[in-house]
Amino acid sequence: MTTNSINTFFKILENDNICFAYRGSFNNAILSMATELVKNNIGEEHAKLKNKISFLMIESFQNIAKYADSDVLEEPTDESDFFMVRNIGSSFYIVSANLIENSKIDIVREKLEKVNTSDKKELNQLYKTVLTNKQLNEKGGAGLGFIEMVRKTKGKLPFDFVKINDEKSIFFMQINLTNPKTEKEGESLAGIDEVKLIHKMVAQDNILMYHRGNFTKEAVGPVLKMIEDNMSSMKFKAQKKAFHFLVEILQNISKHGYEIEDKREGLFLISMKNGQFEIGTGNYIANSKVENLKKQIEQVNNLSNDNLNNLYRKYLREGRVTDSGSAGLGLIDLARETDENINYEFEQLNDKYSFFSLTVKL
Amino acid sequence: MLEPLIIEGSKTNPTINLNKDANFFKIAGRSIVEDPNKFYMPVYEWLEEYVKNPNEDTKFQFDLEYFNSSSARQVMKLIMLLENIPHDKVTVVWLFEEGDEMAQERGEEIKQVSKLNFEITEYPLEDDDFEV
Repeated sequence: MTTNSINTFFKILENDNICFAYRGSFNNAILSMATELVKNNIGEEHAKLKNKISFLMIESFQNIAKYADSDVLEEPTDESDFFMVRNIGSSFYIVSANLIENSKIDIVREKLEKVNTSDKKELNQLYKTVLTNKQLNEKGGAGLGFIEMVRKTKGKLPFDFVKINDEKSIFFMQINLTNPKTEKEGESLAGIDEVKLIHKMVAQDNILMYHRGNFTKEAVGPVLKMIEDNMSSMKFKAQKKAFHFLVEILQNISKHGYEIEDKREGLFLISMKNGQFEIGTGNYIANSKVENLKKQIEQVNNLSNDNLNNLYRKYLREGRVTDSGSAGLGLIDLARETDENINYEFEQLNDKYSFFSLTVKL
Repeated sequence: MLEPLIIEGSKTNPTINLNKDANFFKIAGRSIVEDPNKFYMPVYEWLEEYVKNPNEDTKFQFDLEYFNSSSARQVMKLIMLLENIPHDKVTVVWLFEEGDEMAQERGEEIKQVSKLNFEITEYPLEDDDFEV
């Protein structure tokens, strides 16, 4: 991950009010985490859609084949499933991408085309037929999930298959749910090609999870709680450490991020490669704060681990000196836990604020 | 007469249980409070009173699964208050769950910075509730 990839991500997801994605092995903890997160971040105007979105998320999750038994975060691989939920304007999108054997593509395509071309009455009929069909295949459902998705959203299910090799392809599917109360004329839907692009970027950077949204205190609270809940099963030091710093960084964004129309927009990403976690964040920051923050990061980047330890211990007893050019406990702590430097970049966007991106390996 | 101070824990703040009569002092749980100054103020004030007239033998227990950096400073401030008690009459007991290296390391670091006697003690894992 580089600060450049954070920039790119932030720009692609520029219009997203919420975007959460996960790539890796799925388990119930991840599912409840994702549904909680999205529920807590849905704007007031879409409150009525909450239950429907949770239902569709669960339905989509269960469509993804591989379920892991453990609560331990596993490193994503080329074969990992991908799940994403996003809100742009009046529409919510629930996206899944998973591997499929090429030999099964035709069956899935047929089912999807069937539900996509049926009207309400035909769907109800289809639902009954499938329910009473004695020849259900062992995978179950025989497309019941698809029928439910279409009935709940009153829309079509865009999908695509991207061939990887002679045996396997990636199966992309998107559920669109539009709030009729807030929909504006001419509002167009995000297409599945964008998903394919995001999926590619996520794979390139070994990303396990990302979240783009509002990072005000109120919005970060539930995210932190959720992380905390999931931490109780984290006995592995690397994992606990990664989450420790994620909490620190999120609290920092919620405190110091630049507020635009009551929102502190931000992005965080976690990647995992060869057992090592990397955290990346991106957020707006007031231009007036840039110089001090730069100084602080440079200060800790230039200190040896011994000196960082000494400084940390000194501040522990004496408190932080009031000179705002010197780093606080959180930043010192972060610097001594990473073997490399803290990478950062500031991009001035106008005379008020800049975009601040940071990556750190733990 | 110093009344006991009890603050119930939550997902963001630790449980505080300070009781002079029972000679029991414990801070346990996680501490990721947004405003640590505010949360720890009553704890600090209680302890300020306590150290003026401490019990014969004070064992002050910390069992912090997790704390953020601003809480670390508050924990240190409490320990520094305890340093006002004659050092042979006070011990900091730093508890951590089996295998929780991070909590252990944090305790050892605070011990290094402190002037007090520390007991750093591992306790066995609780049985996790299995999901049904």
